[in-house]
Amino acid sequence: MIEIGLIVRALLRNKIGALLIALQIALTMTIMVNAIFMIQDRQSQMQRESGLDEANTFYLTNTVFGKDYNLQAEMQTDLNSIRKTPGVIDALQINAIPLSGGGWSMSLQHEPGDDKDTIGSAVYMVDDHAINTLGVELLAGTNFSAEDIEWRVDGQSTWPSKTIITKAFAEQLYPDNWETALGKTIYISQNQPMQVIGIIKTLQAPWNGWGGVERSMLVPFQMETQSSYYFIRTESGRRDELMPIIEKTLAESNKERIIRRVTTLEETRKRSYRRHNATNKILTTVVITLTLITGFGIVGLAIFSINRRTKQIGTRRAIGATKWQVMRYFLVENFLISCVGVIIGIAGAIALNMWLVKTFNLTPIGFELIAFGAVALFIVGQLAVLYPAKKAALIPPATATRTV
Amino acid sequence: MLVMKNINKTFQTGNIQTHALNNFNLTVNEGDFVSVTGPSGSGKTTFLNIAGLLETYTNGEFTLDGKDVGQLNDNGRSRMRNEKIGFVFQGFNLIPDLNLFDNVDVPLRYRGFDAKERRRRIEENLERVGLASRMKHLPSQLSGGQQQRVAIARALATEPRFLLADEPTGNLDSQMAQGVMTLLEEINQQGTTIIMVTHDLELAMRAIRTIQVRDGRVSELDVVAEKASA
Ligand SMILES: Nc1ncnc2c1ncn2[C@@H]1O[C@H](COP(=O)(O)OP(=O)(O)OP(=O)(O)O)[C@@H](O)[C@H]1O
Ligand SMILES: [Mg+2]
Repeated sequence: MIEIGLIVRALLRNKIGALLIALQIALTMTIMVNAIFMIQDRQSQMQRESGLDEANTFYLTNTVFGKDYNLQAEMQTDLNSIRKTPGVIDALQINAIPLSGGGWSMSLQHEPGDDKDTIGSAVYMVDDHAINTLGVELLAGTNFSAEDIEWRVDGQSTWPSKTIITKAFAEQLYPDNWETALGKTIYISQNQPMQVIGIIKTLQAPWNGWGGVERSMLVPFQMETQSSYYFIRTESGRRDELMPIIEKTLAESNKERIIRRVTTLEETRKRSYRRHNATNKILTTVVITLTLITGFGIVGLAIFSINRRTKQIGTRRAIGATKWQVMRYFLVENFLISCVGVIIGIAGAIALNMWLVKTFNLTPIGFELIAFGAVALFIVGQLAVLYPAKKAALIPPATATRTV
Repeated sequence: MLVMKNINKTFQTGNIQTHALNNFNLTVNEGDFVSVTGPSGSGKTTFLNIAGLLETYTNGEFTLDGKDVGQLNDNGRSRMRNEKIGFVFQGFNLIPDLNLFDNVDVPLRYRGFDAKERRRRIEENLERVGLASRMKHLPSQLSGGQQQRVAIARALATEPRFLLADEPTGNLDSQMAQGVMTLLEEINQQGTTIIMVTHDLELAMRAIRTIQVRDGRVSELDVVAEKASA
């Protein structure tokens, strides 16, 4: 028979130590649950698809310094030569790289005018090779045709009349039914009309921390500029082999420019989420450290109270407690303390989460995570008290008569 | 019945061996009240601890209530302590965090009685030692004599065959000691076998039988004492 009543009444006479441990458990639970929640949140952010064929994609910057350089013609020559290289699926010039942290965004609106609601979107300037090179999936509408592509000079403020947008952007524009976005005219720079001719499944913006990261648009622009990216997609598994070849070919084909920063998209992703990874490591360390501190706290309190109660434990053995009954006393006692801690911890975890949700715009914590935290702390508690409880069970019954 | 034949108990502390009991022989019959005296360090507590299954012996034969104690494992000894033996200690050994009711409850919980049976036994035994009205008090709120009465109630609540007491009056003034002794006599008259270690010769002589322990064995004097009391 488990003497819960007796354990509770004895505990209530020694509230302070037990309460401190319960509070420590509560605090650990509060922080643990929310830290895991934030870790998971970051992890799910990191798992979002960029929409690109990341494993087989790389890019480089082409910076022109030559005078009298024919930017338009040389760019076409470059792209043609890259596209013809065996193993290359397709290539294009682009103004920004997804996940890279740097790029363009514009505000779009349903109606022209300077007082209308707008929605922000990342802008990728590409040609008709975009869908193939990026590896994005066209859900509705059509790709740009070669005739749609316009030249854009630095500083130009007019926009082409067609665009392809992501599904997430279409959903934002037409919450009732994203498919209705197809064929609609939206306005860029307050009053320049653009017709949505296609909708692609996924293409992330360059900024992974931006709330609108899933909103992007393709604009049929070729840039007549001194410096731009060439974005290259290879056949599966041939990226690493082609990177130096293409770099060399380009560099040697024209000496009036430099080819720099040949980078895979996988590196870019890694760099993009370096902060996330670091923060997750810190949070994981915090959770582990706190859990250990709590575990040691429980061990400490248990050893202290057992040392203080040596004679009492000997007496319990003398009047008939088995070793297991002595052990069980401390396991149950710890369980009761953990219950108090976990109950306060649940309240604390939810409160902290509500604050986090409000402050950082996160989704609220799930029930499973709270349940996990509770179970984890019960297990930590029982494991922590196991050694002291075993020690208590080994106190000989003769202690009752041998100590004064 | 308690029968000890040639019981030896040796304590090993580093290189030093202490022979606390040397061929200790004793038979205690049902209903006896045995007082145990003897000089300090002679082995009285050692004997009582072995008799009460708190300690194991090095060799010899010991049967308690017909059971060969040497055959019991730790759990078996715990159960036997709980069912057949009641302990009264010099320092009372009550649990300071529990009130009198709960203190008496402790061995009953180990036994696994249901709540109703426990309550009956607790109330009955606190009544028996005259402290039923103070059930909700903590041990620290009682005098030494009263605390020892609670300890006796706790020992009796399991209805043991044997009540073992190691200097139960050692921490009490003489008036309180007399009270406790009278209570023990009543208990013995109601059928419980009692073995009591004491330094107080006057109290020792009130027992049915007095033995003296010297150098870890029962000295011949007990025969004299038995004759004297006869
Ligand atoms: N745990 C132990 N380890 C080593 N020696 C012990 C231990 N317990 C008792 N002894 C020794 O055994 C002998 C008998 O001790 P015991 O406690 O039985 O004496 P006692 O008759 O009860 O004495 P007192 O009247 O002072 O209580 C003593 O010499 C004592 O030092
Ligand atoms: Mg002694």
